[in-house]
Amino acid sequence: MSQLVLDKLKERFTTAIVETHSQHGDDTAVVDPPQWKAICEFLRRDPELDFDLPVDLCGVDYPDRVPRMEVVMHLYSISRGHRIRLKARVGDEDMAGADLDSVTSIWPGMNWLEREVFDMSGVRFRGHPDLRRILMYPEFEGHPLQRTYAADRTQPLVPYRTEAEAGMPIHKLEPFGPDEGMPFGRVRSPRPEDD
Amino acid sequence: MEPLDMELEEGELELPAEPMHLNMGPSHPAMHGTVRIVLELSGETMVKADVQIGYLHRGFEKMCERGTWAQVFPYVDRLNYVSPMLNNVGYALAVEKLCGLVVPDRCQWYRMALGELARISDHLTCDGAMAMELGAFTPFLWFVKAREMVWDILEEETGARLTHSFGRIGGMANPPTQDFKGLCRAALPKIVDLVEEGERMLLKNRIFIDRLENVGAISGADAVGLGWTGPCLRATGVAYDIRKAHPYLKYDEVDFDVPVGTKGDTLDRFLVRLGEIRQSKRIIEQSIDRMADDGPINCDAPSVILPEKTAVYTTIEATIQHFKLIMEGAKIPAGEVYSYTEGGNGELGYYLVSDGSGTPYRVRIRPPCFQITGGLSKLLEGRMLSDIVPTFGSLNMIGGECDH
Amino acid sequence: MPTFKLDGKTLPFEPGDTIIRAAWRQGIEIPHYCWHPGLSAPANCRMCLVDIQPKPGQRPLALDVLEWDAKAGEYLPRQKPKLQPACYVAAADGMEVLADTSEHVRRARHDVQEFLLLNHPVDCPICDQSGECKLQDYWLDYGQYQKRMRDEPVHKPKGVVFGPTIVYDAERCVMCTRCVRFMAEVAKDPVLDMRERGSLNEIIVAPGRRLDGHYTFMTEHVCPVGALTTKDFRFKARVWFLRTARAVCQGCATGCNAHLDYDPRSNRAYRYRPRDNEKVNKFWMCDEGMLSYKEAHDGRILEPKVRGVATSAGKALDEIKTVFAGVAPGSVAIVLSAEHSLEDNWALYEFGTVLLGSKNVYVTGRRDGYHDDILIHRDKNANSTGVQQIAPVAKPLRMLVDDVGASRVTHVIALGGAAPVDPEALGAATMVTIAAHEGPLSRLAVVLLPATSWAEHSGTYVNAKGMRQVSEKAIEPLGVSKPAWQSIAQVAAALGYEASWTKLHEIRARMTAVKGIPNTARPPAAVPAE
Repeated sequence: MSQLVLDKLKERFTTAIVETHSQHGDDTAVVDPPQWKAICEFLRRDPELDFDLPVDLCGVDYPDRVPRMEVVMHLYSISRGHRIRLKARVGDEDMAGADLDSVTSIWPGMNWLEREVFDMSGVRFRGHPDLRRILMYPEFEGHPLQRTYAADRTQPLVPYRTEAEAGMPIHKLEPFGPDEGMPFGRVRSPRPEDD
Repeated sequence: MEPLDMELEEGELELPAEPMHLNMGPSHPAMHGTVRIVLELSGETMVKADVQIGYLHRGFEKMCERGTWAQVFPYVDRLNYVSPMLNNVGYALAVEKLCGLVVPDRCQWYRMALGELARISDHLTCDGAMAMELGAFTPFLWFVKAREMVWDILEEETGARLTHSFGRIGGMANPPTQDFKGLCRAALPKIVDLVEEGERMLLKNRIFIDRLENVGAISGADAVGLGWTGPCLRATGVAYDIRKAHPYLKYDEVDFDVPVGTKGDTLDRFLVRLGEIRQSKRIIEQSIDRMADDGPINCDAPSVILPEKTAVYTTIEATIQHFKLIMEGAKIPAGEVYSYTEGGNGELGYYLVSDGSGTPYRVRIRPPCFQITGGLSKLLEGRMLSDIVPTFGSLNMIGGECDH
Repeated sequence: MPTFKLDGKTLPFEPGDTIIRAAWRQGIEIPHYCWHPGLSAPANCRMCLVDIQPKPGQRPLALDVLEWDAKAGEYLPRQKPKLQPACYVAAADGMEVLADTSEHVRRARHDVQEFLLLNHPVDCPICDQSGECKLQDYWLDYGQYQKRMRDEPVHKPKGVVFGPTIVYDAERCVMCTRCVRFMAEVAKDPVLDMRERGSLNEIIVAPGRRLDGHYTFMTEHVCPVGALTTKDFRFKARVWFLRTARAVCQGCATGCNAHLDYDPRSNRAYRYRPRDNEKVNKFWMCDEGMLSYKEAHDGRILEPKVRGVATSAGKALDEIKTVFAGVAPGSVAIVLSAEHSLEDNWALYEFGTVLLGSKNVYVTGRRDGYHDDILIHRDKNANSTGVQQIAPVAKPLRMLVDDVGASRVTHVIALGGAAPVDPEALGAATMVTIAAHEGPLSRLAVVLLPATSWAEHSGTYVNAKGMRQVSEKAIEPLGVSKPAWQSIAQVAAALGYEASWTKLHEIRARMTAVKGIPNTARPPAAVPAE
């Protein structure tokens, strides 16, 4: 991949570019969250860069780090054929302060992508025209792709009946516990001290 | 009710009206794979369309974090479930990019041939369903007959018609069968014949053309801004095909063209897909000509490839290898990668984050039809209610992929 | 501090350390089977071979070998460096050692692995070591080859019962002699030895003897493969379903550090494994300690009882209120437990002396037992020293028996069910016991409240040497048991006093403030590290 994009970014935004790498040929730049929109605007408008296709936006949770949520954006330029991955780290351990500026005005395609990141990872986008859940139903509680959201958590809209109400023993099939699947190979955070 | 205003121009009658809300609910014959469109109608015209997806969200990305790298293959199959082989190949290529593995040539041709067969199946389904929803049932059945031929080949190769789970990190689950080339060579001309029969019936039909032409048009710039890729983008005139722009596998060694439309309306999307079927046929024919008849299909990488079963039952080394790969998962080096291929609907991307263990840290699937469906409300605004059916059908929104 | 280089990385070492020990101290693993930090180094597995670079001007140690040259089509004489076992060669200042970066070392590891697996039985599906087996790990890291031998592997005895606790499988054995050396050097009972030579090698027990004693479980622990298994654990659980908690053994006052392995799906503890702690138990645990994990489930009190009849917690607390109505604090005694954690004891002491105002403080625990000079302490309670730190004035239980007999004490609130003396006479008093296990004091109780065992809550224990150690929570509380400090707060509330603690870290902070015990709440940095 060309170094041009990273060089131009570093030249224009200096300290806002926290780190860069090109692992496996993917140019990546980690940027300062307050500059998110300005950098996106630059990437879109600069004639040499011309990133016109919003490819993807997603959140990756690193709960052992602060800030914990990494918002990853992939962009592509159809005319130039180059790509870039932009990352911003937001949110402390309780996801407070996990806000980013919405870039829907730059790329309309980011509308749904930002809604998905909000829905799945809990990052709010300032200035988004319609920030509501997209994949989950509106009464859903929590943000599923955060690593602290237990995969076996059930969310009934209607509470389960108790055995007394049902009048008979209820054999509830155990939900897929957090220790099932393939617990062996996973790199796991240590358990918190109980209180 | 307010009194009529008697000072109107002749012919202009102003009736007080509120927009009508109509719900095309998730359970609807024309809503491919459960999508809910909440419409605000003013008479027959749609004022606003709120497209609500998520009814087929199964939590794949979360599930991938709870298994091993190889256990993701059945999940990706069920994304774009009308072209599952393309998903398999895309994911396998993504993990191989992380590992730095390159599969043998024979495997690359094989993956190309199977992938293009899946693409043919995808386009046949989309166009056939579009025709059926507009009332033309017979061409749908012809296309399905052609699709059955594709699925017969895939069943012969992989054992399943639809969700094969055939890809593996570093190769494929099984080498090609002996009949593969013969079956392809026999089936492809028949498939194109059936497509042509369908075209002859549909493309001279005034009603069909009227319902598709200039309906749901979008400009190239708008489509790019929305993040559209694949046949829907190419119908607008933007000739972006990953197989040509950033070739992977052996796409740079085969001859094929990329059909591109002009107006970006529903008819162009319909025609682009039919054109792509013919190009896929060309690719498949060249691939199977160049594919060797013997040689390894898998990489020589014991850290990711499972050993032979006879060895597993008789030698300790193969048992250990099997044990480690299944119980702990193949250890993929730590890092992150974004790998993209041309799926049935456009750029199918996988953003993988590995922590070095046998379990993926994060698998992000970039679904092409997510962005495309995001543009649906824009396409529908100002159009009439009955235009939803062909427009939505031409976008080929596959619920499994859009909602992952 | 002298240093040497390993794969280009400069590492410090203590004078006298071997290369492998110096690397181990820095957290770098050189693959090995027969070496163990707590045992002598026999250098018989040859897995830790490394390439030691010759000093400048020194002739390198080399071997003359014949290597197949594909281009020439025949064997040609070559020289390859002589590799040294890292477990035996002492590190020297300025030494340069190549391990992972040397092609010869990688080839050597591959070949050693091939030899070790040559006659190894295809037992992975039934072998208990599966999942924590070095043969598996090193095959994947350094081998990745398929078997070249076409002959039948050598067959040896399987399932040989060595003694009351251990079963031996000769086919799986890699003859590292760790078990032999452990019994000889650490357990001071050289009952195991090796027999025959070459591929007929096997480990045997001395004729006329069995593998018994107090440290037999350790032979299974040191065995890097599945050759030695314990009758207690074999075929019980697969290790990849087990989670681990860093616990402290409750068997005696030594307070050996352990890993308590439990299955979270069934909420059962399955075994102990020793945890390395240079200052407490080095690398070992005794058999009684290893089996004491069972106490997480055996003999447990799981529900409140009033006069032997199971009841709800609310009714039990009401009963306490009733029987304690109008009782003068001077005739109430509190009995601390040398088995329970500092937090439980502190809560009871705080309640009894500060809130209730009683001066009658006693301590109970298990009787003394067998001891030796290796690990086992005669005091079979994990926290005697801790209770002494909290309540130096606590009197032994026999004095309570006297006081009850003389009617100086009429009501007792006791922690823990064990008693070192016969407490039948205590039946004259009205006793409320908060305990995890059945014992004399729980049987005499009018009201019995279930407490969580050490495995179900995080607790601090002080061993005989005065070291404070935190035992992590493993399983979820069984039945309706609660940590004792929570139950004591509820008892205080029932009697009309407000307890000043609701959370564990509050107790730990207050323990520090009042008693001068350093805070072990967040994080347990005061505790000796592993």
